[in-house]
Amino acid sequence: MKKSNLIYLLSLCLFISSCSDDDPATIEPPKGDFENGYFVTNEGPFQNGSGTLTFVNDDGSVSQNVYKTVNGEDLGNIVNAMYIEGDKAYIVVNNSHKIVVVDRYTMEKITVIEGDEINNPRYFVANNGRGYVSNWGDPFNTSDDFIAVIDLNSNAVVDVVSVGEGPEKMIIEGSNLFVCMQGGYGINNQVFVMDTNQNSIRDFIVVGNVPNSITKDSNGKIWVLCGGSPSWTGSETSGSLYKIDPSNLQDEKFDFLLTEHPGLLNHDNGRIYYNLDGKVYQMNIEDSALPVDALNGLDGIYYSMEVNNGELYGTDAGDFASEGTLKVFSVTSGSQLETIATGIVPGNIVFP
Amino acid sequence: MKLSIFLFFLGSGLIFSQNDSINKLDEIILRGNFSPVMNSGYKVSVLTDSLLNRSYKSLGNLLQEQANFYFKQNGNGMVSSISLRGTAASQTGVYWNGIEINSALNGQTDFNTLQANSFDELEIRKGGGSVLFGNGAIGGAINLKNNVSFQPDARGEVLLGAGSYETYFSQLNGLFSTDRIYIKAGFGLSASENDYPYLGTDLKNDNGSYSNYSVNTTLGYKLNEKNVLTLNASLFDNDRNLSRTLTTESNAALLNTDMRLLVDWEYLGNRFTSSLKAAFLHEDFNYLFNQEITDNTSKGESKRWIGKYDLSYFLNKEMFFRAGLELENSQGSGTSISEVEQTDFSTYLLFHHQPIKEFMYNLSLRGGASSAYNIPFIYSFDAKYLVSQNLALKTGFSSNYRLPTFNDLYWEPGGNPDLKPENSLSGEIGIDYHHKMFSISGTAFVIKSDDLIQWRPVTSDFWQPQNISEASNYGLEIMGFIKQNFGVHFLELKLQYDYTKAMDDETDKQLIYVPKHRASMLLNYFWKQWDFNYNLQYVGEVFTTSSNTQSLDAYWLSDVSFSRRLLKDRMDIGFAINNLFDEKYQSVAFRPMPNRNYLLQINFKI
Repeated sequence: MKKSNLIYLLSLCLFISSCSDDDPATIEPPKGDFENGYFVTNEGPFQNGSGTLTFVNDDGSVSQNVYKTVNGEDLGNIVNAMYIEGDKAYIVVNNSHKIVVVDRYTMEKITVIEGDEINNPRYFVANNGRGYVSNWGDPFNTSDDFIAVIDLNSNAVVDVVSVGEGPEKMIIEGSNLFVCMQGGYGINNQVFVMDTNQNSIRDFIVVGNVPNSITKDSNGKIWVLCGGSPSWTGSETSGSLYKIDPSNLQDEKFDFLLTEHPGLLNHDNGRIYYNLDGKVYQMNIEDSALPVDALNGLDGIYYSMEVNNGELYGTDAGDFASEGTLKVFSVTSGSQLETIATGIVPGNIVFP
Repeated sequence: MKLSIFLFFLGSGLIFSQNDSINKLDEIILRGNFSPVMNSGYKVSVLTDSLLNRSYKSLGNLLQEQANFYFKQNGNGMVSSISLRGTAASQTGVYWNGIEINSALNGQTDFNTLQANSFDELEIRKGGGSVLFGNGAIGGAINLKNNVSFQPDARGEVLLGAGSYETYFSQLNGLFSTDRIYIKAGFGLSASENDYPYLGTDLKNDNGSYSNYSVNTTLGYKLNEKNVLTLNASLFDNDRNLSRTLTTESNAALLNTDMRLLVDWEYLGNRFTSSLKAAFLHEDFNYLFNQEITDNTSKGESKRWIGKYDLSYFLNKEMFFRAGLELENSQGSGTSISEVEQTDFSTYLLFHHQPIKEFMYNLSLRGGASSAYNIPFIYSFDAKYLVSQNLALKTGFSSNYRLPTFNDLYWEPGGNPDLKPENSLSGEIGIDYHHKMFSISGTAFVIKSDDLIQWRPVTSDFWQPQNISEASNYGLEIMGFIKQNFGVHFLELKLQYDYTKAMDDETDKQLIYVPKHRASMLLNYFWKQWDFNYNLQYVGEVFTTSSNTQSLDAYWLSDVSFSRRLLKDRMDIGFAINNLFDEKYQSVAFRPMPNRNYLLQINFKI
């Protein structure tokens, strides 16, 4: 994090604490070593290893392999995602077929959710005491994919909702769960909308091929970015961007050119960001057309990308056989603020 | 069993009777391009049949013990790939009776799909040798040989064995020969639950079972004193479940079958020898991601037709030429490769000269053409100088290539048809000292490679192989051998140590899975009907990340075995303890290797 942000944050804290209460005894003790900062999940080497977590403290210090350091065990093979809900974090370990639940401040393991109803888990989101896990099932079986619904008090799977091939990233808006049906090893072109009150199917919205990322804007609209079918499939299709109104599921579509395959959709402060051919584009959420020019200074083929508070975080997995890096940029100035070492194949940047 | 059969022969000379052309001719007939005279500057080692037939072992395990080679194994019995002098698995040429058998699909040999006792001899020749051997012989070349001999004989042999983790194996061999005809056939079977515990955990190798069988036949027919026809056929069928890792369960399996056929016509004249070979090689694999879903698999297959002609012509006692032509048509297909076909042609010329008794050298060239890529023009020089009866100095310098494989060129998606062959330059100097009771040798080598093919991400989900990386390897190899008689007690000891630096030129880091230090000790003790063997291996730390930040610990491994001959040497009972000290070790990260285990075998000869 940028130094000015830190000062800002510190001043804000001082301001709040000094305003709310003058008694220093009420300042809460730190809840753990991982309270203030953000995480990078590292998939780890694909076949023969364990994924790890990197923690970037707001004070600038970086800790690698924090889960193993705290718990003395490996996290598992292919750490695909992590989601922070309340005082817990849910770490999705894809190839070890489990969700590791930890105290989000101390990283101490609380429990592991596993069993037949966690099978090739991909992503996790939570709301109102329920967690939702997208599962591929057997990656070569196109009809066994599902969303597992977890009671976050008991950490038990309480429901399973079958979906089509390759559920991936998800987002919750109100009582709706939106799931990108990216297609797993194949190609799919839907957004699955689940009513979380009933755990029932509300709709399958047909979008472009390969919906690879999803976000929610400040007006509550859902944005879905579709990469389109790449040229090597032999039937290339263009990328596309969808803006969906969650109340009526009506969508507005933005088309890319046939050979354009965007990814890594993000929203920050009223603007949409995505990556196309190693360049970062920005559009206002009210714009009626895709941007023509890329932002300056932010170029990179990122393995994952987040825009948060005016800063762009992009990871580079390098040769996939050694530690990757995370670069942080100022979106407005296009200048690089820092480079942070990560674990092997940094796949997600997770802000509390 | 004769004691001498355990000797690891220092093939490359220090044997002085081989000065005349008759002996050189014989040697060329016997050893082809692996003959020491054509590899004067290199060391050619030979492992003999008695060593290969002693037990039912994978070729990889045997070479680890006997030749100090380093293999990377995905668990016991799983895919095993070699790294000679720090090069990639596809940069060791593996030959079967002179025919290259590295997979056309991935360019490598899985040393757990070859059974040591399927062969009569192994010839090992380290160092760059693409000029003589062709594609891929950069770190070195290994030839798996089946020999014929026209001495009247009739023999049968049965080997039965059992070991830990429900391991069973058997081998049946029959041989019949006259002064004109040679027939040998062998049939081997092996199966194991292979469910060894992962030391230090509650896990075991619960998806590691395998079973395989092999059939090998060699037929020889002596047309007359000058002409011999041989036919070799070999089949190996392997069905393996693929081991889990420490962090991931596995339900995967790999089935593969290799079939090889070779007809060879050899001519031995007064001034020249020739060999005409025609071979057909077929490989196929079926990778099951999940054994329960048999319709979702990844398959691949290749067929190769190879014609090879080699001719040696002696100008006089001191000089000869050798020339060869090779033509290969190969076809590949599979789940991720549509029907592809290519034709490669190459030719080489070697000139051997021994101007004085103490000095000999070879100069050679190779060039070729292909429908798929440009085959580079390469050259080689090597020489040997005998300082004294006991001391030889050697040197070799060569340029070498490794051709792209079907997977590199045609894999869908990503295959890159514009790939060029990998190039390397290599040089070495060696010294051999030989005494009646002991020998010692040392070799220092350098390999400089560029245009190395590596799969790299073009976008985050699209990978493509490119001629992108460069590497510099250098190192030192030392071997000592000593034997001693104490009355009826006979002892021999072999010590080997290899130091290998293999650096990625871009990052200046050691390549992953190349140990800097590798050593082994082999102690054999014979007394009357008893044999005792102790094998100690050391594999140094290997890095598992290209940034050299993570590594696997070095390990020491001890295997011991005893055997006793009975019934006038017609029967042999052996007992072995592998990993005697229960060392916890991994060859590949997160894939533990077996704990202490036991093996019992009985061998009958008829």
